[in-house]
Amino acid sequence: MAPLAPSRSILIWDIYIRLFHWLLVALLGFSWWSGERHEMEWHRLSGYGIFFLLIFRVYWGVFGTGTARFAHFVRSPHATFVYLKALGQHPHRTTVGHNPAGGWSVLLLLATVMAMVIAGLFAVDVDGLESGPLSDYVSFDQGRMASDLHAMLFSLLLLLVALHIAAILYHLLRLRDDLVGPMFHGRRTLAVEEEVDLPAGTPWRALVGLLIAAACTWAIGFR
Amino acid sequence: MTISPAFRLPLLALFGLPLAAMPMMPVPLNAAPAAAPTPKAAIAARQAGYKKMGAAMKALNDQLKTGTPMKATMVGAAQTLAAAAREQPRLFPAGSGPTAGVRTDALPNIWTDRATFDGQMAKLIAESGKLIAVVNGGNVDAIRTQAKATGATCAACHRQFRADN
Repeated sequence: MAPLAPSRSILIWDIYIRLFHWLLVALLGFSWWSGERHEMEWHRLSGYGIFFLLIFRVYWGVFGTGTARFAHFVRSPHATFVYLKALGQHPHRTTVGHNPAGGWSVLLLLATVMAMVIAGLFAVDVDGLESGPLSDYVSFDQGRMASDLHAMLFSLLLLLVALHIAAILYHLLRLRDDLVGPMFHGRRTLAVEEEVDLPAGTPWRALVGLLIAAACTWAIGFR
Repeated sequence: MTISPAFRLPLLALFGLPLAAMPMMPVPLNAAPAAAPTPKAAIAARQAGYKKMGAAMKALNDQLKTGTPMKATMVGAAQTLAAAAREQPRLFPAGSGPTAGVRTDALPNIWTDRATFDGQMAKLIAESGKLIAVVNGGNVDAIRTQAKATGATCAACHRQFRADN
């Protein structure tokens, strides 16, 4: 049977990527709030949650579905440059998954949040009262340095998030391309001629990743 | 044999002058610790003191985190903490606030609300003194409670009188 419409809707973000994305947003917000309020028990737990998400995301970047894989979205700097040069030209072609610039943005965001979590694991507060779960491996001064680094990385993260949102607004307003909706429902409408085959991630693979992430988090946060 | 008058004056000078100067010596030696330090020296000294206290508090909490806390380490930490605490009140002379010209997180209300600040200092000295006794007692649960009580005096004072917190 011939398709009547010239386009079709496909799933570009699987449920794991979408959950990862919005849980990360929520936990980053909660971490900021609990940190500001000196609710350090909550702040630590929130950090463990983010650590869990990051471990799973790295696993899913290797063993997950199509658009989640690093191999799918990490492009050469040259390809990224070519993409950015062609960006303003019409008509805009939507990318299935992360575009080359977005891929680098994702890598940078993941690395920054990971570095921030690691710094937090060793951080010690000014009074020597509150500390990350691995702070007993470092001196007070080193723990204070980790805490300063934790704060500096947060400033960097805010900058990257601002860039992320600016890029989304640019897509929405200039390119008439809504990126937020698909991050909720996962689907995107593409022209039929754009043949895409996205390998599906199986639930048992996700389960293995969740177990690995849980084991890592448990080993560090609750040892 | 008599010492010729030519030798007497130099000898007198050699032995007599230091003796004559002696009564003056103890004055500056004794007065120095009691005098208020300059604002910059006070800021450096109190910051060093607070770092020592933070490190001692961490050392104590690190022990409490382990299943088998070492008493000697905890006693040392509590003593460092209490000794440094007793030094702090005199290290906030007038002019050692944000206007001192060096980086300090000390808020101006330390000097406008001095009675409250001194009250917080007294609490810190009292709680850290009690901490030594409790650590020597050796009851880990009691040590944990008293370490928390001591830390609470740090946090309470910092909320009121320390910036960037």
